[in-house]
Amino acid sequence: MDPILEVSHLHKIYDSGVHALSDVSLKVMPGEFLAIIGLSGSGKSTLLRCINRLIEPSNGSVKFEGVEMTKLPQTELRQMRRKIGMIFQQFNLIKRHTVLKNVLSGGLGTKPTLSSVAGLYSSEERDKAYAYLDMVGLAEKALKRADELSGGQQQRVAIARALMQDPDMLLADEPVASLDPSTSHSVMKYLEEVNKKLGKTILCNLHFLSLVLQYTTRVVALKGGSIVFEGRPEEINEEWFKRIYGEEAAAVEIH
Amino acid sequence: MKNGSREFTEKKPQLLKFTDSQVQNSYTGRLLRARRKGLLKAFLLDYVLSYYFVFGVTTLYYHFAEESVSLPGPAFGWMALAALVVAAAWFQFSESLGRVMIFKTDKMLKSQETTNFHWHQKASGWFGFALFALTIVLGYVLTEMDLPLLFSAEGLAGAQRIFSSLVTPNLSIFNMVINAMIVTIFIAFTATAIAIPVAFVLSFMCSRNLMNFSSTSRFVYAALRFLFNFTRSVEPLIWAIIFSVWVGIGPFAGMMALMLHSIASLAKLYSEQIESIDRGPIEAIEATGANRIQVIWYSVVPQVVLPFLSYTIYRWDINIRMATIIGLVGGGGVGTLLMQYQGLAQWNEVGTIILTIAVVVWLMDYISAKVREAIY
Repeated sequence: MDPILEVSHLHKIYDSGVHALSDVSLKVMPGEFLAIIGLSGSGKSTLLRCINRLIEPSNGSVKFEGVEMTKLPQTELRQMRRKIGMIFQQFNLIKRHTVLKNVLSGGLGTKPTLSSVAGLYSSEERDKAYAYLDMVGLAEKALKRADELSGGQQQRVAIARALMQDPDMLLADEPVASLDPSTSHSVMKYLEEVNKKLGKTILCNLHFLSLVLQYTTRVVALKGGSIVFEGRPEEINEEWFKRIYGEEAAAVEIH
Repeated sequence: MKNGSREFTEKKPQLLKFTDSQVQNSYTGRLLRARRKGLLKAFLLDYVLSYYFVFGVTTLYYHFAEESVSLPGPAFGWMALAALVVAAAWFQFSESLGRVMIFKTDKMLKSQETTNFHWHQKASGWFGFALFALTIVLGYVLTEMDLPLLFSAEGLAGAQRIFSSLVTPNLSIFNMVINAMIVTIFIAFTATAIAIPVAFVLSFMCSRNLMNFSSTSRFVYAALRFLFNFTRSVEPLIWAIIFSVWVGIGPFAGMMALMLHSIASLAKLYSEQIESIDRGPIEAIEATGANRIQVIWYSVVPQVVLPFLSYTIYRWDINIRMATIIGLVGGGGVGTLLMQYQGLAQWNEVGTIILTIAVVVWLMDYISAKVREAIY
């Protein structure tokens, strides 16, 4: 089987001179739930954003479903982005819009400019948005303003929004880092459902090792912009943990 | 390697560590270019500051030694030369004022700068202080400040004459004043109403964070910024003079002047608001594959509508005030009336007009304050 995503020799140097990614190579197979771990500033967020080019990589190649992403002109890039959903640490919902409108905005990639600016949505689009809201258990909140929801609920709306674009892969940038432990599990369970039931490939940046062990199928660890570990979650023993997070680090359990 | 662990190599996280020579070349190349540009800017800034210093000292010399406030023509020529010498001397120091100011604020060069010091520890700090002190003294000299004149018997008599006329208004012209005032209010209203949609559309095109995607867009950004900065730096009063020649004296000239200035001001305020929004929602909408217009409509506009409304009301307040003044130079409305009576030295009639303006402006301020409260 061909990998859905193939990153090779990827570099990113910011204008400030920080070498955020250095020679990162990575293969992801369809259906995987891949965790990317590492300290803050190790390049996890940069790596995810270089895949859909929210950040332009400095050098190297990113192949998604066989298409070289780094060379694509804007129009083709937008077409490829539709196949890659993304959720964020800060949820990034439009706070003043309703939950339903937020979910509908996930489908903008396939919508003509005029009707999206006018806010005209077909009944099929509405039904689809309601179906995904139902899947994350928030159908009854559809007409509330997004900022009236709790953090965990907002992240679930963000998942529904990402699904609205019918992606083949989801990028999740620290999806539970601003949530409390019990809501974290609820959000991770929905992601697991998206992975197992809908068969979407997921790349997920995570802080907590316990979440990695519980939900993901494979782990990549970044340190100083380079990959230092690649393997199954249960292979990360004490020694590996110290190498990835530093000698002083201690594992924090999240129940 | 598929399921096992990759060979572990210890790599410490560190800045400016290059593994790929190609990557390194592109970065150091950009750094070199930025440095060259920074040095040029720094020298120009040093030159401007030196010129100001020479100018200030020369002006003070002429004021105190020659008892003249203005400089003779040839002075400007040799001042330019002297400033060049001063700036060249300054530039030998790595901490000349221009270099410190440019290098500390540049995105790329800032990371290379390591020096940090208090202003009084370096010569450039003292130079900055000298420029500040010079400015204060120049302010006193060039405005020809003369406090005894303000409180002389002759001056006070004139003040008493005009104040007593102003507070005894001639109410027989009241209807005429009200008619002119209505015209003035509509000058302000029309100018604001036309300026809002134009400034709204253009403000997105002069926001740095939205126009940073291609060289064409950056050119449009720079061109619009320049145009607006120029339009804004010419006061509405001067635009009114220009339009009163263009379309003739009257309310139309005043409205055009106010509208033009409002577009430039609102576009600047709007675009500054756009530049300060949260980038998160933009990323989220971009990630869905949306095009630029959709991104702006769905992630930028919802974040800026309320601040835009507040700026617009603020601008309306300014326009009401400006509309009364603009008539003084041929912009129509109550200002033109004021100018006519002032020219005839009919101070009681002038008093009527001034009182009406004061009441109307106060009333409009009060209403817009209430509207603002209701919005937030």
